[in-house]
Amino acid sequence: MTLQQPALPATAVATRPARRRDRARLFQEIGMLAPAVALLTIFLVVPFLLSFWTAMTNQPLVPRPTPVRFIGLTNFLRIFKDDLFWTSLWNVSRFTFWILPVQCGLAFATALLLHQKLPLRNFFRGLFFLPAITSMVVVCVIWGTLLQYPTGPFNQVIGFLSGGRIQPIDWLGDPNWAMFSIVLLSAWQAYGFQMIVYLAGLQGIPDELYDAARIDGANAFQRFWHVTMPGLRPTHVFVLVITTIQAFKLYTQVAILTQGGPRSSTETVVHYMVRAGFEEQKLGYASAVSVILFLIVLVIALLQRQLLRRFDV
Amino acid sequence: MSDLAIPTLQTEARRERSAIGSLRLVQTACILVIALVIVSPLFMLLIASLKDDRFQILADMGSFRAFWVSNPRLSNFAEVSNLSGELAFGRYLLNSLFILGCTVGAGLIVNSMAGFVLAWGTLRGRALVLSLVIALYVIPQESIIMPLVIMVSRAGMTDTFAVQIVPWVASPLYIFLFYQFFAQLPKELFEAAEMDGASVFRIYRSIFLPLSLPALATVSILMGIESWNQYLWPILVTQTDYARPIAVAIATFFGQDSIYWDRAMAASVLMMIPILALYLAFQRWFVSSFVGSAVKG
Repeated sequence: MTLQQPALPATAVATRPARRRDRARLFQEIGMLAPAVALLTIFLVVPFLLSFWTAMTNQPLVPRPTPVRFIGLTNFLRIFKDDLFWTSLWNVSRFTFWILPVQCGLAFATALLLHQKLPLRNFFRGLFFLPAITSMVVVCVIWGTLLQYPTGPFNQVIGFLSGGRIQPIDWLGDPNWAMFSIVLLSAWQAYGFQMIVYLAGLQGIPDELYDAARIDGANAFQRFWHVTMPGLRPTHVFVLVITTIQAFKLYTQVAILTQGGPRSSTETVVHYMVRAGFEEQKLGYASAVSVILFLIVLVIALLQRQLLRRFDV
Repeated sequence: MSDLAIPTLQTEARRERSAIGSLRLVQTACILVIALVIVSPLFMLLIASLKDDRFQILADMGSFRAFWVSNPRLSNFAEVSNLSGELAFGRYLLNSLFILGCTVGAGLIVNSMAGFVLAWGTLRGRALVLSLVIALYVIPQESIIMPLVIMVSRAGMTDTFAVQIVPWVASPLYIFLFYQFFAQLPKELFEAAEMDGASVFRIYRSIFLPLSLPALATVSILMGIESWNQYLWPILVTQTDYARPIAVAIATFFGQDSIYWDRAMAASVLMMIPILALYLAFQRWFVSSFVGSAVKG
């Protein structure tokens, strides 16, 4: 009790009311922290630890009379032997490869534009965030119509611009195009968050640096390259890492629009996991997939720490 | 030195100003193009929801009529806003609102209390709890969902509102955001109140919480969006209409052979209204404070 205030001479004569007050304070603090700690333990820590255990059993979704058996790493070995798992991993990698330049590029460009003193820039900032508050299900309704085959708006516009030379594209039904379509609508939906993060990064660069560069005779491009870009390094790392992690968790739009098809071209790791767990009812197997997903996310997050440390922030 | 520097800076500035004039024009044009790309799909959704002929909606797509409705009708909305029956989107909307209200309300209290104690408490092991909370942030919802389904079904919680609320009330991210916000408030604030004999809870409630409007707004918006857009979790734990949220209900349009776009669009517009209202109400504080914490987080 007295440990907390060693510097005060009063501690030597710590009176009873003071000690009682200390204890009351301690109880209050525990009481204020307890709900969060309890909820996080029950709904995050316990299921997280359980997932490692379940991953090594043949736990079914619906309880069966036969007891659940410990089967070691069998689930993981089966996953690694399943071509569909590798396809899903390849697909989310492809998705990441496309979404990073499209989404982050758009976000970066928009943030650079909005950072200028343009008229109505707060209005535009609010406007550009609208897709980010739009539920993915609603996004699917909108883009489902936009991408309709063969007469949806996208195909009409392309047909019109090409004078009918380009045949309508089955955006969501053609294995060559399906993932690209998912990339487009995902980037449209989510780029508002990245835009705001970039705006924050731009605001964090002190004006004096620009003034100094101007006095040294740097032109607009040189100022961008030697002041803006280095100043945004931590922001770039943050945005790229968050986008990559989100990309690996790709699920909703695929589940609604393509169900992983056509010909598994949009199968993703989470979709694969949910199918294993709930359609095939192999919860143990699905847990093993979730452990792999966690490890992937962990590696990306650790990579971020490493990169940030290198940039000395 | 300064005699030399000032004139060159001025001519430089003048030259730049004329260049800036044309640059401004290009920039404004770019903004408008981006605005078109961002807004036109949403505008199209709104327009289509006001057309009562579902074949006309598809026929109008791809021409300028997608952005124009000559005689707006609210019949689609009337069709989908029932409180019971087949297209009970009114009910699903209320379900979602209830879930959102409870999650955000409880979340603000639970997470801000924890953040406050982590920032200003005297408990031993606070630093450890804080670093554990930050570490927990790495765990994605998707990777705990399988065991969580077993847990809640064993507890008989499937198909309830509670199962969609309670698991997502406490969150490492929001505890951390509150911690960060409270920690940067001046120490004198706490000490003065403590001197007056206020208890920790009292200081939190009467002094720190009223000062944390930006943090409360940010967490409300982020939690609200998250709760409103939940999809994977509710499809796993709801089987009947009883507690089904509107996101899951709208997704069922896609399972049908021919999609009733008119109804789907009206339901989508319904779904956008509450979250838009929440966003508009809190947006003022949201951008500035989210901005401050995002990169560090």
